[in-house]
Amino acid sequence: MQKTDTVFNLALQRLRYNKSRTLLTGIAILLTTILLTAIGTTGVAILDMNRQIYSLSDYHTSFNELTPEQVEILSSHIRVEALDTSETFADIINGKMNGVLTYTDILRDDRAETADNSTHGLTLEKGHYPEAEDEICSSPIFFRRMGVEPVLGSKMTLSFRVNGKGEILTDEFTVSGLLPDVEIDEGIDDSRLMWNAYVSKAVLQKYADSGLYQSKPSATLRVYGEDELSFDEMEDRILSVAADIGLDEMYVKLNKAYLSTVTDPGTEVIAIITVICLVVILFSSLVIYSIYYVGVITDVQEIGKLKALGASRRQLAGMLYWQGAIVSAIAVPVGLLIGFLLPYLCFPLVLWAYQSGSAINSYSRDAAEAVIGQIHMFSLPVLLTAAAASLATVALSLRKPIRMAKKVSPVEAIRYQENTTDKKSRVGHHTVKVSTLTFANLTRNKKRTTVTILTMGLSCVLFICVSAVLSSVSAEDIARRNIPKGDFRISLKYAHYYDNEYPENNLENLVQQNYFSDAFLSQLLSIEGVEKVEREPGIILSSTDVPSAMYEEYDNRQPLSYFTREDVAELSTYLEQGSIDYDRMTANNEIICTHVYSFKQYGLSIGDSFSMKLLDGSREIPFTTTLTALTQPDSNFSFLIMTQDSWNNLGLTCDPTTNIYLYADDEHYDSVKEALLKIVSENEHFTMYAMDVELKIGHSGVDLTRNPVYLLLSLIAVIGFISLINTMITSIVTRKKELGILQALGLSDRQLVRMLSGEGLVFTAGTLLISLTLGNFFGYLFYKWAKQEHFMSISRYHYPLWESIGLALVLLIGQLLITLLISKKMKKESLIERIRNQD
Amino acid sequence: MNNQANIILKTENLCKYYGSGDSLVKATDHINLQIKQGEFVSIIGKSGSGKSTLLHMLGALDNPTSGNVFLDGENIASLKADALSKIRRRKIGFIFQAYNLIPALNVWENIVLPLGLDGKPLDEAFINDIIATLGLTEKKRSLPNTLSGGQQQRCAIARAIAAKPSLILADEPTGNLDTKTGDEVMALLKTSAKKYGQTLVVITHNEEVAQMADRTIMLADGRIISDGKLMIENEEEVAAHAEN
Repeated sequence: MQKTDTVFNLALQRLRYNKSRTLLTGIAILLTTILLTAIGTTGVAILDMNRQIYSLSDYHTSFNELTPEQVEILSSHIRVEALDTSETFADIINGKMNGVLTYTDILRDDRAETADNSTHGLTLEKGHYPEAEDEICSSPIFFRRMGVEPVLGSKMTLSFRVNGKGEILTDEFTVSGLLPDVEIDEGIDDSRLMWNAYVSKAVLQKYADSGLYQSKPSATLRVYGEDELSFDEMEDRILSVAADIGLDEMYVKLNKAYLSTVTDPGTEVIAIITVICLVVILFSSLVIYSIYYVGVITDVQEIGKLKALGASRRQLAGMLYWQGAIVSAIAVPVGLLIGFLLPYLCFPLVLWAYQSGSAINSYSRDAAEAVIGQIHMFSLPVLLTAAAASLATVALSLRKPIRMAKKVSPVEAIRYQENTTDKKSRVGHHTVKVSTLTFANLTRNKKRTTVTILTMGLSCVLFICVSAVLSSVSAEDIARRNIPKGDFRISLKYAHYYDNEYPENNLENLVQQNYFSDAFLSQLLSIEGVEKVEREPGIILSSTDVPSAMYEEYDNRQPLSYFTREDVAELSTYLEQGSIDYDRMTANNEIICTHVYSFKQYGLSIGDSFSMKLLDGSREIPFTTTLTALTQPDSNFSFLIMTQDSWNNLGLTCDPTTNIYLYADDEHYDSVKEALLKIVSENEHFTMYAMDVELKIGHSGVDLTRNPVYLLLSLIAVIGFISLINTMITSIVTRKKELGILQALGLSDRQLVRMLSGEGLVFTAGTLLISLTLGNFFGYLFYKWAKQEHFMSISRYHYPLWESIGLALVLLIGQLLITLLISKKMKKESLIERIRNQD
Repeated sequence: MNNQANIILKTENLCKYYGSGDSLVKATDHINLQIKQGEFVSIIGKSGSGKSTLLHMLGALDNPTSGNVFLDGENIASLKADALSKIRRRKIGFIFQAYNLIPALNVWENIVLPLGLDGKPLDEAFINDIIATLGLTEKKRSLPNTLSGGQQQRCAIARAIAAKPSLILADEPTGNLDTKTGDEVMALLKTSAKKYGQTLVVITHNEEVAQMADRTIMLADGRIISDGKLMIENEEEVAAHAEN
């Protein structure tokens, strides 16, 4: 007992004596615990959020393009556990508004003891699901946008096109139910929003009876076996059900997120979290190790003296373990608290941002909204594991230094000088400059120099690597998908299918109106602040003789446009099949398909030949072509594209412009936007995209998800930086006397700072070299993986330039600051005191 | 006038006090001395008599509380840190009891270090001559930790002489050496200083070392109690002098 007390007291006194080292170790352990706890808690939150989201949409698959007969078979199929259907009855016609009237129903749910289909699966705040022909329900904001008071019983007149086709019909509806309200930014143009309102079975029936409505329901269903079967077995079962009702696989869409969650609960999240935590533990233990390692090297004389006084190897180990334990006893609990609070406060913000981003699209709104604020993050096992992992990190870091301390021989140690190496001589330099001194010191303890550079370098590699992905998560890229160039885009809104009732909506007729005439463009150019207007053409290819699903979907119509010689590079980068040769393609009239999914869906293949008609206004141009390449570039190209020269050879008589791009100067952006909105509002065929709105949409999804990751990364970088601080402080403190002698020999203060910052610069340069080479290499690989996995809509690689510059600056400035602070502190001691320093 | 011109080092009422009131310690108290060019002066006295403090102020390592130090006619007591650094590397060579070589540098580098810090071109023949005089030719590339105490101190002497300073200050240069080695080192130091025309001021406890000097200054309680050629026979007598 007495012995333990002595060892404990010794540990405590040593901690007090080496204050700066104790502080650094404490910070490193604190940061490690914060990181581990924060990552673990975030994991708990993600799992809980997923669980809640999936419990809202716990279907296994959706079947699309069904017939009522198929639905009938499904509803009594032996393998089906639950079946919901949803039918898009009609498109809402109200100016530029995009919206649909939907009917949704729960046909079967074997899990529920009593079937409750009163709400048809919706979460209604007030009222009931539409039953009568004239009833409608939606969220209050929809009704407000339609100019109707959002209260039960309100009457409204609604125009719509059944199945999105045919004549525009008008009916009177009564509000029967209200969904939860949503807030939507007023600055977003109507044409960029998608609305959804629910109607009754009765109204569908009414229009079906009159032959206007063709029911093409979609179904979401669950099959039996969720608890027993693996993912692949579930998939097989679902496909066999689809085969039973004669549904093509193309129309089957698995709910992979849910299926993988239930068949393998949380493994992926847990695996990712575990890997991140292991990386953190690796870095932290390297840093904490290097602090202890340098500590033992520095204290070798003291340890030797203790041994000479009779301290056993065990007692020495005990002393070092106690040192770790005492610091951990303070740092770990504080770290647990901060590490828990960080995600506890940040996570709802991230989710909130996600929610406001998804409010743009009413379909995905419900899920995010339902879970907000109810996420459970507290998990005692996670906190205990984080604490245990932090302690294990400390114990791991102490192993080698303790072994070193145990090996110290009392005789050697008392004689020990830090420079003791096996080397007997050194080639050296003819003259000695400040830089010679710098390098002599760095090479004197190569191991310490290497450990420091590696620790810092690796944590910075991680920083640069993740930055490469994060900087590629760009709100601008997302915005540029809708506005590939300029600040605004006005596009011609035309029917994708052949509109029989309203032929004026068909592109070939729209172009005859010459909406984008020279006069119109001149009008746009005359708006103050508009610098440039560019046209982008498109034309409709039509065919009746190609036996392909490509033409079935849109009544034998597909858009065609062109690419320029300059575009070849981008198209080639994303080439999936075939080959792109501009001149050959011009000579042979060849075309490229730019959408991989549809290419497969339509059963196309490279080498397919088509005989088609180009619709040039009222004129039809016969056109024969061969499909020679498949690519999926980031930029917004038409589904089919030909070379610009082929396009010019078509001899079109109508102006085929379908999009125009406007460039505005920054100063007049707002006034230009206002003027354009007014012009666009006067023509129902125009849809306008404004850069600020698209950026806002991009940012809402990107920023608040990205920033917490940067926060975590910065913490890792800070841990690495602590290693540098430690090495520099130790290397200066242990050389106090030597530095004093150098000054006695005439080294000026300025030369001293130059020498020390030179040492720091080598650390910085080494760190930067490692992080910029390895970091960028792994960063690019990481980016490629992220792109493939569609992580946060990444599509284009952005070199993490600002992050790299920031890292370099922080390292440089930080290291200079440390040097200045230490040398300032050192100057407080007189030169004589330093020369006499025998420690 | 001529006599004045030969004075390389002069102090005027040089005082260094520590603490205040009852705990005031007068490490050196109104010391006035003059040392001529080429002179070999030893300073003796008991522990705490103020020898090292005096040497530090003569060597521009420490600032006096009051009084002046003139080195080559320039008052160094009033100079700033950077100017003092220059004085130290150009005009003064130090030799410490603990040798104080820079462990990361080899013998040659240690010797040319003050020259390098001053950015001066090397007089290679001169340095090699010193190295040969001190018997270190074979050890030029050796690191200090591989040398014996005597070799290390010889290296320190070479370093002190290399920049051709006008003044060499040595603080107990033989304190860490056995008698035989100490005698050798001292003889080498004296020979070298003479050979290169340098003024030598040595602090010592060693009577034999003191006797080698042209002149011995004895300090007690921060004051000079005697100044002249030491003619005493044994240490007891030195102590007796100090008592007086």
